[in-house]
Amino acid sequence: MLAPLELWYLIILEPILNVLVALSHILVGQFGLAIIALTVIVRLVSWPLTKRQLSSTKALQDMQPKMQELQKKYGKNKQKLQQEMMKLYKEAGVNPLGCLWPMLIQFPIWIALYQSIMRALATTPENLLALHGHLYSWEVVRQAIPLSSQFLWLNLGEPDPYFILAIIVGGTMWVQQKMTQAPSADPRQQSTTRMMTMMMPLMFGMLTLMFPSGLALFWAASNVIGIATQYFFTGGWGYLKFRSPFQSTPVQGR
Amino acid sequence: MKQAKISFLVTILLLSSIVVSCIPGQGQPATGWAGTAFYDGVIYTGTLDGRVVAINATSEEVQWSRPVGTERSSGLSCGQSSVSSAIYTTPIVDGDLVYIGTYSGQVYALTVDRGTERWIHPRTGSIGAIVGSPVIANETIYISSSDGTVYALDMTYGDEKWESQRMADKLWTSPAVVADTLYVSTFDGHIYALSAETGGLLDWSFELEAGFASSPVIREGTIYVGSFDNNLYAIEIGASEPAWKSPGRKWFWAAPVVHEGVVYAGCLDGKLYVLDAETGDKMGEYDAGSPIVCSPVMMDGLLIVADESGTVHVFDLNAEPEDSAMPCMYVPPIRIGAAVKSSFCAHEGLVYIRGEDNRMYVVDVDKGRISWEFSLATEE
Repeated sequence: MLAPLELWYLIILEPILNVLVALSHILVGQFGLAIIALTVIVRLVSWPLTKRQLSSTKALQDMQPKMQELQKKYGKNKQKLQQEMMKLYKEAGVNPLGCLWPMLIQFPIWIALYQSIMRALATTPENLLALHGHLYSWEVVRQAIPLSSQFLWLNLGEPDPYFILAIIVGGTMWVQQKMTQAPSADPRQQSTTRMMTMMMPLMFGMLTLMFPSGLALFWAASNVIGIATQYFFTGGWGYLKFRSPFQSTPVQGR
Repeated sequence: MKQAKISFLVTILLLSSIVVSCIPGQGQPATGWAGTAFYDGVIYTGTLDGRVVAINATSEEVQWSRPVGTERSSGLSCGQSSVSSAIYTTPIVDGDLVYIGTYSGQVYALTVDRGTERWIHPRTGSIGAIVGSPVIANETIYISSSDGTVYALDMTYGDEKWESQRMADKLWTSPAVVADTLYVSTFDGHIYALSAETGGLLDWSFELEAGFASSPVIREGTIYVGSFDNNLYAIEIGASEPAWKSPGRKWFWAAPVVHEGVVYAGCLDGKLYVLDAETGDKMGEYDAGSPIVCSPVMMDGLLIVADESGTVHVFDLNAEPEDSAMPCMYVPPIRIGAAVKSSFCAHEGLVYIRGEDNRMYVVDVDKGRISWEFSLATEE
């Protein structure tokens, strides 16, 4: 009988780790490219879940005018407002938590990716020695070890010393969030939304300064793919507003 | 209100960084696996808390203990926090000095009687992390470093004689010295020959698609070296193709031992492979049952192998094997009860092993049991 941790290694961690190592060999020994390629693959595999999440998000976005009307109408009666909102969700066939479940299901995959990157980089002698126990006997994997941690200006096993990756991670996360967060008529909710939009990019930007840049590269690639997916699926920049210096009025993307 | 929001933001930031860093299974910190040396009745080794210790083998007491390296904390991360003063190298004793390299990238020369620092290289700062043990030849100490460079130091004063050009991302193996040439195996699959006098690259080098996992061992013009492609290679110096390769099921991490035309190679698949040094033909294999991380050791016609689970296997190379090419067991396997990754040494019937539990084990091979053991955990 396998322990839960052994099962986790066998079913999730080791397949991802070995694919990552094999990709590194295929992509001319560039582990950075392997991380980006694996992020794309994971995004493709989890596309049905992402699609469901985006559909829920889009449906919630489409409901915003009606929601704002309800907030104006029943703003002072919270209980009535909740009832009317639930009614609206039901009529539209939308589950307000529908966009959360696909995200939660994907969470273990992101953890496994994180662990795989950390293990594959094998920054300490102990980690490199321990790696042999998790590798398949594929020729392509045997040829790839040990991986080179150099990619562009980065040592993927160390945080980026130039803050460039932190800005990219924070910036792309901010754009992605801005694209989906609808403005609210309720000033308190508006304030919470604004804080969340600032907090998450700031938090991940800070984490980028603390963690190996291989992991931050994965976050950046994931954000860029997220932005592209959202752009093509929802047909534009969503709620992200671009203000041209030559225009006095803001132009809304959608 | 604004203050509460900022506090909330900071709390979330700290909590999330701690949670992300503590996700289990991301790896192990660098704690070191210092080897053991025996010289003139004294055992020298490194401890898990970054000290070099000299133990009097007769009185079984600590003669001296000295912290080395520079300790650094990596802050919030609980998964990857590492003790930078970790020691992976085996101390070398020459004359009245003991030499050791640290993971924090410094080489120490300490006096054998008191452990007093004679010199430290570099005097300020550090070179790349040192994992491969230093080698002494030509009155010079040669060190490979994680900055991909080999350094040659003067043994008396620690002055740098030369620094080679960068040969790889990092060098975690020890160089092998034959006469006036240094041979270095790299993780990216090269063996380079360097002038021991100047550090300049010589004409010959060897290239393999897979990386080399072990340090090279040289006998009669042939380099024996383990690889990450699960093969042990024999490469004649000057050749462009290997003389032979012999497969295992995992990496050959430990350097092999070559004795009287036979190669004894421990593998991470838990087997000791016995091979004809000239042809690579397999003469026998022995299943230790656990990965063999450190090199076997020869002592008075005995071959001693320690596996990762902490079992010591002793073979008598002089005894005539009964029904196989595999040497006879000298005594039944001896369990020491602690994992073994460190290089060990043997002298006059006793084997000195530092276990991963930070204890020194002295095994009497004639009696087939532990003679005495010693905790390295605290300064006593």
